[in-house]
Amino acid sequence: MSEFDAIVVGGGPAGSSAAMRLASAGHNVLLVEKADPPGSKNVSGGVLWGNDLEAVIPDWQKTAPVERYVKAKGVGFLTKDSNIGLEFRSSLFDKNRAGHMVLRAKLDQWLVKKAKDMGAMVASGITVDRVAFDKGKAIGVEQDGDLITSDCVILAEGANPRVAIDSGLREPLNDKDVAIGVKEVIKLSEKTVNERFNLRDKEGFAGEYVLGFLPDQVEAGGFLYTNKETISAGVVISMKHLRENDRTYSFDIIEQFLEHPAIAPLVDGGSVEEYSAHMVQEGGIERVPKLFGNGYMIAGDAAGFSFSNGLVLQGMNYAIASGIAAADTLIEAKKGNGVSEESLAGYRKRLLDSYVLKDLYNFRGIDEVTWGKLPHRAIPNALEHIMKGLFIEQGVPKKHLYQLMTEALGESGIRTSDAVLEGYRMLRRM
Amino acid sequence: MKLEDRLALLNYKIDRTYAHITVKPDICETCPDHFCTFSCPAKCYTLIDGKLNFKYEDCVECGTCVVACAHGSVSWTNSKGAHGVKYKYG
Amino acid sequence: MIELALHLVVLIKVVPDGKEVFVDPVTFTLNRSMATNIINPADENALEAALQIKDQTDAKVTVMTMAPPFAEPFLMECMSRGADEAVLISDRAVAGSDTYPTSLTVAAAIKKMGDVDIVFAGEKTSDSSTGHVGPGVAEFIGAELASYSRKVTYENGYVTAERELENGIEEVRIPTPAVVTILTDSNDPRRATLRKKIDAMKRGIITWSLADINIPADWVGLRSSPTVVKKMLPFPRKDRKGEKIEKEKIPELIDNLVKSGVIRVEAE
Ligand SMILES: Cc1cc2nc3c(=O)[nH]c(=O)nc-3n(C[C@H](O)[C@H](O)[C@H](O)COP(=O)(O)OP(=O)(O)OC[C@H]3O[C@@H](n4cnc5c(N)ncnc54)[C@H](O)[C@@H]3O)c2cc1C
Ligand SMILES: Cc1cc2nc3c(=O)[nH]c(=O)nc-3n(C[C@H](O)[C@H](O)[C@H](O)COP(=O)(O)OP(=O)(O)OC[C@H]3O[C@@H](n4cnc5c(N)ncnc54)[C@H](O)[C@@H]3O)c2cc1C
Ligand code: SF4
Ligand code: SF4
Repeated sequence: MSEFDAIVVGGGPAGSSAAMRLASAGHNVLLVEKADPPGSKNVSGGVLWGNDLEAVIPDWQKTAPVERYVKAKGVGFLTKDSNIGLEFRSSLFDKNRAGHMVLRAKLDQWLVKKAKDMGAMVASGITVDRVAFDKGKAIGVEQDGDLITSDCVILAEGANPRVAIDSGLREPLNDKDVAIGVKEVIKLSEKTVNERFNLRDKEGFAGEYVLGFLPDQVEAGGFLYTNKETISAGVVISMKHLRENDRTYSFDIIEQFLEHPAIAPLVDGGSVEEYSAHMVQEGGIERVPKLFGNGYMIAGDAAGFSFSNGLVLQGMNYAIASGIAAADTLIEAKKGNGVSEESLAGYRKRLLDSYVLKDLYNFRGIDEVTWGKLPHRAIPNALEHIMKGLFIEQGVPKKHLYQLMTEALGESGIRTSDAVLEGYRMLRRM
Repeated sequence: MKLEDRLALLNYKIDRTYAHITVKPDICETCPDHFCTFSCPAKCYTLIDGKLNFKYEDCVECGTCVVACAHGSVSWTNSKGAHGVKYKYG
Repeated sequence: MIELALHLVVLIKVVPDGKEVFVDPVTFTLNRSMATNIINPADENALEAALQIKDQTDAKVTVMTMAPPFAEPFLMECMSRGADEAVLISDRAVAGSDTYPTSLTVAAAIKKMGDVDIVFAGEKTSDSSTGHVGPGVAEFIGAELASYSRKVTYENGYVTAERELENGIEEVRIPTPAVVTILTDSNDPRRATLRKKIDAMKRGIITWSLADINIPADWVGLRSSPTVVKKMLPFPRKDRKGEKIEKEKIPELIDNLVKSGVIRVEAE
């Protein structure tokens, strides 16, 4: 007899969701989180997209500690001097709230508390060392030399999956798997946030930017999200390209973003309240490990379930959906013949049926085009050339758009044939 | 704002008895790139007189240095429960 | 003679994390709104000092605090590090108590236990740092006191404590029952383990009201507290002459420090 039906490692969105689902189905679940208080080690941009939480907390949109909801979504290409952007601001978002700005230290603590209220046993401030195996079956976890037993272990330890790696359930990470996320929370006042971003009440703005002005090979995306009275601003830096450059410091890139002429006025006068950094999972479907085995399942970032196409970064929604899928799989296995490799196979099927694995399959190879010269240099430069030609009086007869576009390609520093090919690949994959 | 000032905003519960990351000085000695000094967002890796200096106290546990070091010098473990960086926003 | 198991009691207080509390530059009041709670740092050392005795001798360790129920997880944390039981003295009537009724109430709870050999307290708290409660408890239970201790050992009914004083270390030996107050950072507190945390959660916490320890409600609370906090002021800010010293200038710096009497060079 095991001590617990399930031990969940990690109290992020994936782990809390799994624990909530299991506990409310009457299972005896232990949730272990290394941070104390829970959430105090977690970092996101953070827009929580979608409504996955509804399955475990039906009224979450009213009760969760969310900052604002997405009323306007911006995309911008930044060159040294310019921001060429597109904004989608819509009253459609009022009725159908697609995304919510969150701060993880608050959100995660709240989610863990919910799991506790629903009956999970929560041990925070404890780091799990390894999954314990006996004859190929996961029988619990090891912590400081002790074995704690459970019928099933759900690993939800996030982007840096040490337990999975140290237990031989995932390969060590490489450049392709990760990006470096660096973030600042900048305090303004609620009024200033509203004025600068043209917002009212709970409305929020979520902007993502391609940082086309960075030196040499360095490639990074930037984000700017409004909270109630603070702004979350940050960058996601490609490890591979930073290495190719080998001259630029990761911590300087966020400052360059915040000092950009189009961004600086938005954060002007604000005081930096917090600096943070966190690993981002980037590997895509090719790097998703074996998701389950005899007595264990892997969920959320620990399984590589996150999605970024350079314009959005999503992971919390996949984390929640996969945590719930893991819990449902276990609940079903327990109703049937118990936990085994076969009975947990339903986990993969559930994920394939949901958007989690569908998205990852559909956007296979996206990293090759989102990280690359075309979006990070050619497009920003070309767009700037066109806009300059159209709007900035240069004392020359106005050119036709077509002519500007051909010139722009030349300006972009990429061969026309390559641009066509890359553009095609990019459109197909996006 | 200088990085040192940004790091000074953070609250850590420093573990005086356990270093969760260690490097192997003999490997760093012959390192051709010192890429860790560029990638670490908390400047835990610095060069002092051409020699690598690593201090874990400022680490924000992003986990990227073990990937950044291509020479197998970095051993990375989780901080022990309730120790290390403690964010208030996240 | 068979020695009975020692009974050690550790007093803790839950305080806002000092690194997250700041003085509001406009109103000069303490802004604790962003602060999370922690165990008062010196109390972690007090618990460790008690557990070190338990490592050596057959002993039972009880942690105790007088606080609202939000303190429960912190008592759990102490049990997860090795304490055997936890007592929460919780009663609406104690709200607003200063160190006098706090010491009185804590002492009453210790008396109720009956068999306590050594009480461990922190030297002071990080939020109001009076350092009264340890000595106050000693007075009310009629025990010997060793304050500002950095190391405590027990042998045959006597406690030996190394006290850190301004001009040196003093070693005192006092009979039990004794109260010792422990210096911040005087040891490295052990960490909680998952096994102990699970056991702690299964065992739960003992809660006593004032009635349980026979203290009338009008002995405690704001009205029975002689202290009045009249005003709080931040330290006046002194802007220092910042000077950056290059490596080559270190000898010069040492010279200057010697000249100004900050340091002294002694011949080897
Ligand atoms: C800069 C940045 C911006 C992002 N922006 C967004 C965004 O806008 N929208 C979005 O949807 N996603 C975003 N993401 C991605 C998102 O943060 C992750 O996908 C999401 O947090 C994954 O959730 P999780 O529960 O799988 O893992 P995590 O949230 O990382 O949670 C894992 C938990 O496990 C704990 N833990 C780890 N190891 C152990 C152990 N051994 N023992 C006990 N506990 C352990 C950790 O402390 C943590 O609490 C962003 C990420 C970054 C870094
Ligand atoms: C800003 C501020 C100023 C204050 N000033 C005063 C003042 O000048 N005079 C005064 O009498 N009160 C004062 N108080 C009230 C005081 O915080 C409480 O009375 C408190 O219970 C104990 O005082 P202390 O924190 O100074 O503890 P200390 O006497 O410094 O604590 C020493 C040790 O006693 C133990 N201990 C302390 N409190 C408890 C408890 N509640 N339960 C169990 N063990 C405990 C712990 O081991 C602690 O390390 C003040 C409070 C605030 C917020
Ligand atoms: S840690 Fe790795 S990258 Fe850094 S100096 Fe050492 S060997 Fe080089
Ligand atoms: S984990 Fe991150 S912050 Fe810590 S030393 Fe490594 S790179 Fe730096």
